[in-house]
Amino acid sequence: MFVVLMALRELRSSWRRLAVFFACIAIGVGSIVTLRSVIQSVRNGLAHESRTMLSADLVISSNDPFTEGVLNRVAVEEGNGRISQKIETIELPTMVRPADKSRDIARMVELRAVPLGFPLYGSVELESGSYSHASMRDRGVLVKPELLAQLNLDIGEPLLIGNETFTIRGVISSEPGRDIGVFSLGSRVMIDVVDLSTTGLLSFGSRVSYQLLLRVPEPLADELLVDLQRAFANEFVRIRSYRRADNRIGENFQQAENYLSLAGLVILILGGIGVSSVTRVFIHQKIKSVAILKCVGATTRQILAVYIGQILLLGIAGSLLGVILAGFVVEMIPLLVGEVAQFIEIDYGLTLSAVLQGTSVGLAVSLIFSLVPLLALRHIKPSVLLRQEALAKNRIDLVQLVATTAAAFMLMLVVTWQAGSFQVAFILTSGFLVVAGLLYTAGVILVRVVQPLHHARSFALRHAVRHITRSGSQTGVVLLAVGLGTFFILGVRRLQENLVENFSMQVEEGAPDMFLLDVQKDQREALAQFITNFNGNGPTLTLIPVLRARVVAVRGQEVNLDSFEDVRGRGSLSREYTVTYRSSLEGNEQVSGGTWWDSTPTEEVEVSIEESLQGRFGIQPGDQMTFNILGRDVTALVSSIRKVDWGDFRAGGFMFVFRPGPFEDLPHTYIATAHGPSDVKARAELVSGLVRRFSNVSVIDLREVLVTVRNVIESVTLGVTTVGVVVLLSGVLILLGAVSMTKFQRIYESAILKTLGGRTKLVATILLLEYGVVGVIAGAVGAIGAMGFSWAVAYFVFEMPWVSNPILSIGGIVLTAIIVAVTGVVASADVLRHKPLATLRAE
Amino acid sequence: MIEFRDVSKTVKSGGRPLTILDSLNLVIPSGQSLAIVGPSGSGKSTLLGLLAGLDMPTTGEILVNGEDITKLSEDNLARLRSNTIGFVFQFFHLVPSLTAIENISVPMEIANLSDVADRAHSLINQVGLTGRAGHYPSQLSGGEQQRIAIARALANSPSIVLADEPTGNLDSATGQHIMDLLFEFHRAHGTTFVLVTHDTDLASRADIRLLLRDGKSVEEIKRK
Repeated sequence: MFVVLMALRELRSSWRRLAVFFACIAIGVGSIVTLRSVIQSVRNGLAHESRTMLSADLVISSNDPFTEGVLNRVAVEEGNGRISQKIETIELPTMVRPADKSRDIARMVELRAVPLGFPLYGSVELESGSYSHASMRDRGVLVKPELLAQLNLDIGEPLLIGNETFTIRGVISSEPGRDIGVFSLGSRVMIDVVDLSTTGLLSFGSRVSYQLLLRVPEPLADELLVDLQRAFANEFVRIRSYRRADNRIGENFQQAENYLSLAGLVILILGGIGVSSVTRVFIHQKIKSVAILKCVGATTRQILAVYIGQILLLGIAGSLLGVILAGFVVEMIPLLVGEVAQFIEIDYGLTLSAVLQGTSVGLAVSLIFSLVPLLALRHIKPSVLLRQEALAKNRIDLVQLVATTAAAFMLMLVVTWQAGSFQVAFILTSGFLVVAGLLYTAGVILVRVVQPLHHARSFALRHAVRHITRSGSQTGVVLLAVGLGTFFILGVRRLQENLVENFSMQVEEGAPDMFLLDVQKDQREALAQFITNFNGNGPTLTLIPVLRARVVAVRGQEVNLDSFEDVRGRGSLSREYTVTYRSSLEGNEQVSGGTWWDSTPTEEVEVSIEESLQGRFGIQPGDQMTFNILGRDVTALVSSIRKVDWGDFRAGGFMFVFRPGPFEDLPHTYIATAHGPSDVKARAELVSGLVRRFSNVSVIDLREVLVTVRNVIESVTLGVTTVGVVVLLSGVLILLGAVSMTKFQRIYESAILKTLGGRTKLVATILLLEYGVVGVIAGAVGAIGAMGFSWAVAYFVFEMPWVSNPILSIGGIVLTAIIVAVTGVVASADVLRHKPLATLRAE
Repeated sequence: MIEFRDVSKTVKSGGRPLTILDSLNLVIPSGQSLAIVGPSGSGKSTLLGLLAGLDMPTTGEILVNGEDITKLSEDNLARLRSNTIGFVFQFFHLVPSLTAIENISVPMEIANLSDVADRAHSLINQVGLTGRAGHYPSQLSGGEQQRIAIARALANSPSIVLADEPTGNLDSATGQHIMDLLFEFHRAHGTTFVLVTHDTDLASRADIRLLLRDGKSVEEIKRK
């Protein structure tokens, strides 16, 4: 009874002082709940019906028309009732353009040709009315709204696909059977499968995907999957089941959710550090009250209960505030991501599990970080009421030691729970500790560096620096929190600059910036001529012959085809590779084993493999490899190993390169690389001209890819920057807490200064200088950390040159200093206003 | 009955041991009032603090109703204070975050008494501050604060009341009123009352006067 009453009464007066406490918790909990809710919403939006995702129970897909073997087996299963419905769809990337010849514009799209009966599950939604297969009959086409915008077309207008003119009959607003998250080259276009043949797009070598969508009576799907996988072990097909897709999507999202919410947890832990420092100061201010309570008969246990109760109440309040904040943020999301929302329909909202997780983590962190400082309550003796004495300090307090260990252990458990993996928790915790440790050390060193200012000429500066370096000041915690925020923001900005810079450099430099796919043998000369006409004396076309090959055996041993593991995405040799043949090495290649062939063509088949294959599969020069190329088995001698610089994508990269000779007469297509004009209009002309003349050729414009990449990097940067801003915000909060906690002492000091003749301006200058110096140190700590981090990532992860940017660092330091100084002075406004007499009398 | 047996208290001061109480022996019969007088630093407050179990003697035994309180744990001492002892300080020592009535209620709540609200109101009425129940200590004058402190000390009907210079911070008229309150309670309830004071007039109202100097009992005068 006493405990509950007392906790509530104490809260009445102390909540103002502990406001920082629950703000810290609120921000952390808010981040966790927001991140988890958003990801869960997206996941629900995407995967609540993954049968709809695949639009079938089982999907068999292949890059070639299905063989008799496959079709017969499927027919057998249909006969015995294990397959209740079957439809075949065909997908391929291609270029489309308006029929109006005067318009120089063309776009790559992902064409899907569907029969009557599609989709087996889910539905295609059109912006105008409902979908029916009949609407596509007789060269009708359904497109996504963005394509209409890109080509400036409308419903009813003609659209050229391959050699055929189609009429736009509807706008797709949502479509099943699209694996979201997979990089796509263009927007979806749907036509009737019957009309596909006349487009001429099924010509040799185009990248077509044939799909058999199967409906399977409910309990049979798993068993049929296993049987078909076994039956088709030697067919080049992939089989997917909705259940497995469901699991995979589930796992991916769970992982994304866990990892992203760790960002929230880091913020919360930082809040926890704030909580710990606030509690420490709070206890110091409560010494007298606690002594009185002990004096009137309260036991230590009761008093601990009072304050733990108070912390729990604040923790709950902070967590709830966090949930409310998260609610607001989540509501705002559709407004912020309007663009993305066009593609995926998602109901954003707080999810119960996110709220529960957030609040319980918030409570746990409140307790973990306040427990150890609260234990100091035990040392308060009621005799302090009789005479002034310092808080008794036992040399080694066993209970406190045990509690600290227990708190660290509990924190580890919380992190493990949130990360969903002990390993990740361990890496995160140690990473955080290392970064925090480094930043803290840098802070300590920098505080030492300003030490000589103790003897500065200026009275104000001298006093300001003394305040900073005085023991018991909250400088360390403030430096850590603000420094960490600056570190996040500057670090990711630097990284972004470096990435974009490097990527653009590769595109500039007069290197090829366009890839033309599916160039047929007889189109080579005309295409080269076309480019030369267009570019004049500029760079010419480079043609690279490409074939598709599968490895069927290494050293006579059969390689397991499309086995279970392969479907589950584990690296295996038996996937289809795009291969080429040539007589010389490219600029981004080096021979690291064996010998490269000379330029004379031979009948003997020789192959050069990429280094990683040697490492992963133990293939050595001199080994025999058997490939299936165009349905024929070809055995080749591995004559050399190449090291390929994949970062340099201009010359392309091939896992297998063959010696010229044996393949030249086989039917195959070419990839061409070309350099287009940098002028946007001329470029569009070139692309549309190409597509009009060579309708089967697909154009990938690197400059457009660059824009996409830049956008992706920008969104990631924005995300991390947001985290950084929130961290900085909690740093500012901790600063506010530190200021209000030590305010009484400051008011007293400034009263004495004023009594001794100091003017308000002097007191203000001291404050401004003090927080300014702290800000400069925090900014410097963050900037140094950010430089180290971006350099390490650039050097070790991306292996690219690091670009230094002193303006960014200096700007960051100045901005941090201003933020900290303003916050510090504004929060100390009371100190300036207080009249000295009132203060001294009250003491 | 309260009994001090050979009680010494030594503290370290500036690295050197400083004896505050020196082998003190003292008996206070139940229901009696005792005034401890003596110059500053003679050990008066320390004696009172030891008696309340707020501090531990360096050597010796302190018996309260036959029980040696120097052997009690911190929590048992707290229980003893809760049930048996009421303490009034020179500097009032009210909990600043609690209102007057709440300050009075705290000891009863800790002792888990029933009717806390009624009792608290009757106590605040006894000290004449009914109208001030909802005020915080900072909103009360020194005399008012001390009256609340007295009501708090008497809340659990203690058999022993200790007062450490209760009028030291008050003007003489207010001080008189405070002392009247304390002696009234002492007489009405037959409690043992131990008072530390500088004021010899005040001391003369007690049954026994004890003069302390340098931690030693110099003189013990019983009122006729």
